[in-house]
Amino acid sequence: MQMYFLQASGNTFGLSNVLIFGTIGMCVMAITLVSVVVFHQRRVIKFNKQLQKIEEEKQQMLLKASINFQEEERQRIAADLHDDAGPLLATARLYLNENLIHQEPAVQLQSIFSAKQIIDDTIQLIRNISHSLMPPTLKNFGLESAIKDLFEKINGSGVINASARFHDTRDRLTEEQELLVFRILQELVTNIIKHSSAGFIHLTQNVQGNFSYFRIHHDGKGILQEEFEKLNYDSVGLGLKNIVSRIKVLKGSISFDIDSSQTYYKVTIEIPREPGNK
Amino acid sequence: MFFLFFKGREKEKTLRVIFYYIVYCIINEAIGYYLHEINKSDFILFALYTLLEFTFFSLFYYYALPKKPVRKVVPIMWALFFIFECIDFFLINQMNAFDSFAVGVESILIILLCIYYLVIQLKGTNTLFVYSTFNFWVIITFLIYLSGTLFLYVMAENMIQNREFRIQYIVINSVFNVIKNILLSIAMLMKPTPIKNPEQKDRNLDEVLSYNLKN
Repeated sequence: MQMYFLQASGNTFGLSNVLIFGTIGMCVMAITLVSVVVFHQRRVIKFNKQLQKIEEEKQQMLLKASINFQEEERQRIAADLHDDAGPLLATARLYLNENLIHQEPAVQLQSIFSAKQIIDDTIQLIRNISHSLMPPTLKNFGLESAIKDLFEKINGSGVINASARFHDTRDRLTEEQELLVFRILQELVTNIIKHSSAGFIHLTQNVQGNFSYFRIHHDGKGILQEEFEKLNYDSVGLGLKNIVSRIKVLKGSISFDIDSSQTYYKVTIEIPREPGNK
Repeated sequence: MFFLFFKGREKEKTLRVIFYYIVYCIINEAIGYYLHEINKSDFILFALYTLLEFTFFSLFYYYALPKKPVRKVVPIMWALFFIFECIDFFLINQMNAFDSFAVGVESILIILLCIYYLVIQLKGTNTLFVYSTFNFWVIITFLIYLSGTLFLYVMAENMIQNREFRIQYIVINSVFNVIKNILLSIAMLMKPTPIKNPEQKDRNLDEVLSYNLKN
């Protein structure tokens, strides 16, 4: 409208201004828009890269924790074999050597008996090492029996009351999953006994949809999710890192919270079920 | 030159569209020059240029935009613009005037699509810098070229007989054509970006962790 008015009045200078300022204005608008997009996207990408870096560091820490855990296990087994089994077998060898020197039947009988005792002890020791690596109850009877067996041993101490209830045992987890879940629960229970001064521990298991759920209740001094995340990022706390790396292998999740009455702490583990495990 | 850049990258559909658009621009310039030399009216050439330019830009967006929902709107938009351009040129201007109204509508539609594309880039989770992609440079070419020439073309219908305006028309049009060609050249020089799979690394780590825990 302005253009027609300007043209009718013969004001070409005004028209030139409209054209020049209009063109410059539109260009400025376009360039501003492009600049905003570019700078905003640069900031977003930078932020995403930082997040990615943090995640990578976390993964690295978990991997290190896993490797450290393995090394510690190997060292413990090596120490057990070297310090306990080694001397026992060496003593048994000594007794048997005695047999070759002393030909008296009474002495020979005595040394054979002693050697037998020592070999029995060695067998028991190796069995204990083997059981600590893979609990036989878990292998032969499954997770429920292994947990109940573990809880019976805890109850035997008389300090803490541990109980477990499995609601849905129709479909078992795979052998590998059961071992990982057992190790996670074992680590959690050990932590509760060591740090929380709890009077009782109760484990509940159930299945919902394609997930298996395990929840530990205890009345001691527990931790919440925020504290768990913090401890997990710290360089200390190998046990928690092992829990996280096992949860990761299981593609599950773990959460720490407290019930609404603020009395019991809860640790909930969610494990996706692999189809076809009976 | 453009053909050389284009060689070996024929599979990129958006690039192909821009290549044909550039070829068409060159042909259009040649025909326009010829019509000017023989003193013939070139209004039909302007109208055809507007229509084909919108066709190329629409086609570019059709390939460049993510599938839903605006991509489906582009063909409908093109069809409506085609009808509008025909009505404007044949009935309103009666084939005897510059199609300013149609150019204005075309510019606004394309600028809106440019803004939509940039908003998608803002919202997206792409890990690539937006200016490292070919499509981005084409989009800013459209945006700057059409924003810069919008006022010029809108005013052209009534002012084309004015000598001073004609000079301004030539200057502004040439400047923005040069900018357009420079930006499109940058776009053509962009190397195709390889697609990375970010999950691969995590998967490898999972395998390592799983192996470590099992043994």
